[in-house]
Amino acid sequence: MFASIEQTIAQLRDQQYLCDRKLATVAFLALQMRKPILIEGPAGVGKTELAKAVAAALERRLIRLQCYGGLDEAHALYEWEYGKQLLYTQILRDKISRLFEGVSDLHEAVAQLHLHEDVFFSEHFIVRRPILQAISSPDPVVLLIDELDRAEEQFEAFLLEVLSDFQVTVPELGTVKAATIPYVIITSNNTRDLSDALKRRCLHLFIGYPDEQRELDILRMKVPALRETLAAQVVAVIRRLRALDLRKAPSISETLDWAQALVLLNADALTPALLEETLHLLIKYERDTQQVNDQLPWIGEPLQTQNPPAIPSATEISLHPPTRPAELDVNYLEQRRQEHTTRYFTSYRGRTDGRTGG
Amino acid sequence: MMDTVVNRFIFLLKKQGVRISPAESLDAMQALTRVALHDRDTVRIVLRSTLIKDLRDLPLFEELFEQFFSLPKASPSPEATAEPQPPHATEPYPPEAAAEPNLASGHADDDHAHEDPLDIRDYFEDEDMVAHFNAHQDDHDLRLAEFGQNLLLSRHQELLDQVMQKATQLLKVRRVKNAGRAGELNFSEALTALDADLIADAVTELLEDLNDLDVDEQLIQRLARRLEGGMANLPELLKRYLERELALRPPAKISDPPRRRAHDDRFSEQERREMAEIVQRLCRRMRGARSYRRQISPRGRISVPLTLRRNMKYEGIPFQPVMTHYRDDKPRLAVICDVSLSVRNTARFMLHLVYNLQNLFGQVRSFAFVSDLVEVSAYFDQLSIDDAIAAVFNSGLLDTEVDSNYGRALSLFHNRYLAAVTRQTTVIVLGDGRGNRNPPHVWALEAIRRRAKQLLWLSPEPRGSWSLGSCDMPLYEPVCHQTEVVRNLQQLGQATEALLRRSVTRH
Repeated sequence: MFASIEQTIAQLRDQQYLCDRKLATVAFLALQMRKPILIEGPAGVGKTELAKAVAAALERRLIRLQCYGGLDEAHALYEWEYGKQLLYTQILRDKISRLFEGVSDLHEAVAQLHLHEDVFFSEHFIVRRPILQAISSPDPVVLLIDELDRAEEQFEAFLLEVLSDFQVTVPELGTVKAATIPYVIITSNNTRDLSDALKRRCLHLFIGYPDEQRELDILRMKVPALRETLAAQVVAVIRRLRALDLRKAPSISETLDWAQALVLLNADALTPALLEETLHLLIKYERDTQQVNDQLPWIGEPLQTQNPPAIPSATEISLHPPTRPAELDVNYLEQRRQEHTTRYFTSYRGRTDGRTGG
Repeated sequence: MMDTVVNRFIFLLKKQGVRISPAESLDAMQALTRVALHDRDTVRIVLRSTLIKDLRDLPLFEELFEQFFSLPKASPSPEATAEPQPPHATEPYPPEAAAEPNLASGHADDDHAHEDPLDIRDYFEDEDMVAHFNAHQDDHDLRLAEFGQNLLLSRHQELLDQVMQKATQLLKVRRVKNAGRAGELNFSEALTALDADLIADAVTELLEDLNDLDVDEQLIQRLARRLEGGMANLPELLKRYLERELALRPPAKISDPPRRRAHDDRFSEQERREMAEIVQRLCRRMRGARSYRRQISPRGRISVPLTLRRNMKYEGIPFQPVMTHYRDDKPRLAVICDVSLSVRNTARFMLHLVYNLQNLFGQVRSFAFVSDLVEVSAYFDQLSIDDAIAAVFNSGLLDTEVDSNYGRALSLFHNRYLAAVTRQTTVIVLGDGRGNRNPPHVWALEAIRRRAKQLLWLSPEPRGSWSLGSCDMPLYEPVCHQTEVVRNLQQLGQATEALLRRSVTRH
């Protein structure tokens, strides 16, 4: 149980999850107000981890529903177990025929059968999918609906009933009300806008990249074998990488992987050569590699000094990669056009030169 | 007490175009009761997580929060940013207001710095109070004071509104009396008629409310003193308020100028047939989004549950496999058509296209704009093509004489009709993108694109001249999935071919 915001922070820290006050406030409120949390943010910043940490901190079971294109209620809510139904009718054939002993005509037989209809559409033959599981669990659980933006918009509509009233309607059985209110966490990578109706029912939280100090703390907690100076260097380089305009900026999970790799490589300190060798752990796209290689001297700058300064806020402001003066002379309109083109044509499979006419 | 402040804050947010439902407001109130209020940051987080559901609204929220929940000395004025705009006036504004006729777009990024600051806080400046805040380093005291201030000021704003409404009413009566001297006002008389009791009552009520709160005695005394100072300043304040109101009121139109008639030559049978044919081809290839429901059909994948069910009569031996596949939804269209003077010679053609689209596609909503934007779907549904086009030009729906303003039209569409655009919708914009140097509001088009399945722009102007003059097409083009030059049937045919070849309809 989260008693206060401070306690929420402490309890999540016990589960190896470092969070700021913003996140803790929302996590605390969600429990108090029995509202779902909708978390948006780039991949790998610990959205799913939060659900795991909350479940562990509250000592609840975590039920996870991973969303994907084409997900329907049969996989999210419930499904009838047709095989089992069929099997039972086969096994019970004798019993069923005994049921009709002494029945004279068809009408009577149907009436007789009608009395036993419920047997095959009962709780025994229902497969509980994650949402129904969460709703009908006698102990409160944490329900994680992961990457909802991957599912179709219609699927969100299914969730509305669950999220606002914590109930599910199964036509054959009636409405199943939640025995205990689950703690619901929905995550989205923000590839599309979720519907307003859904957003309205949730507390909204955006998780971005952590600041330098927090990232350092996370690194220390998750990779204790990492040396202090190396950790500081890792964070400094990662921050510079994020300042570049990359297609996929390295997030916390990449930082941790990288740190783990450096530990395995027995590195004492990060050298420019080592940085270049291990860069592919951080950069996932060819185009990004190109850009990073161009800026490598700038990225490697914090490695020159033995002890990087402990985050004076002034350096954060000046965290911009150097630009070549020639780029600044580009005509304004042309620049805007390019900007739009890169923004809108990266996901478009047609012509990518921005021109569309013949 | 607190409700008033939060409500006022929500009201201001809404005014800036943030969508907040009553349910969310209630959530915010409820959430605030569950946390300790002395910490400003907590309040900010609580309000943000309950009210703001869209990342794009976040900067606006932060800005407004800073202004609203801060010391009066530090805050410019939240009221100024949200000063109600008069309903859209097409006549020129007086100089000081002319800079922002586009506030209807609901975005604060325009300008509020140079707005005439009608800020009640100016009238509460008290050296004593300021000194108190600056000298006092006690954090806790400061927070309380801050909270009290906000309560006081938001309450007081309502009171002031009441007073001013009353004064305005009185003034209106006066103005009717001596209508010959419009614009010249006599304040002294209106003010004497003000109900003094009203002010006194409200002030007492306010102080009582403050007493209920655990604000220390000294602070209440100070606030009370300041309030009285404010009251003394009221006449001056009222005068400025009224002057401002007057300045913003557009001069009344004398009468509608006679409208120029559009081309009213009729469409030939040949033209109609060709157009219908081209649009039909377009229609066949344009599909909606993949539906989420599955449908039984000979192709697709085997559905185990359905197969088992159907073959129960054969004792479960699957003689008859059942296949299902995802079906495509019917396409939906939203057509936004420019009918201004600059495209007058092609507007007729464009509207003909709209008409045909509407006939052939099941779910089409069409909109026409010059500077204002109106929905014309009903005309195209019910009237014949010639009557429908005549209706758009001549019925007074739109003022077709003014310069076209794409930015305004797009933001109007964004504000009023965005619900018409869903994931199944293809949006087609017909126009040359010449916004006559008005702000292009590319963000509105971006927002439309984000919601739509597909965004097409058909321009009657050759591509070469897009970079000439005040054409905003270079800005709009990258936002669209496709842009094509179409000014007659032949080009429409070619464009259709191109669209089909590039399989824009499936992603």
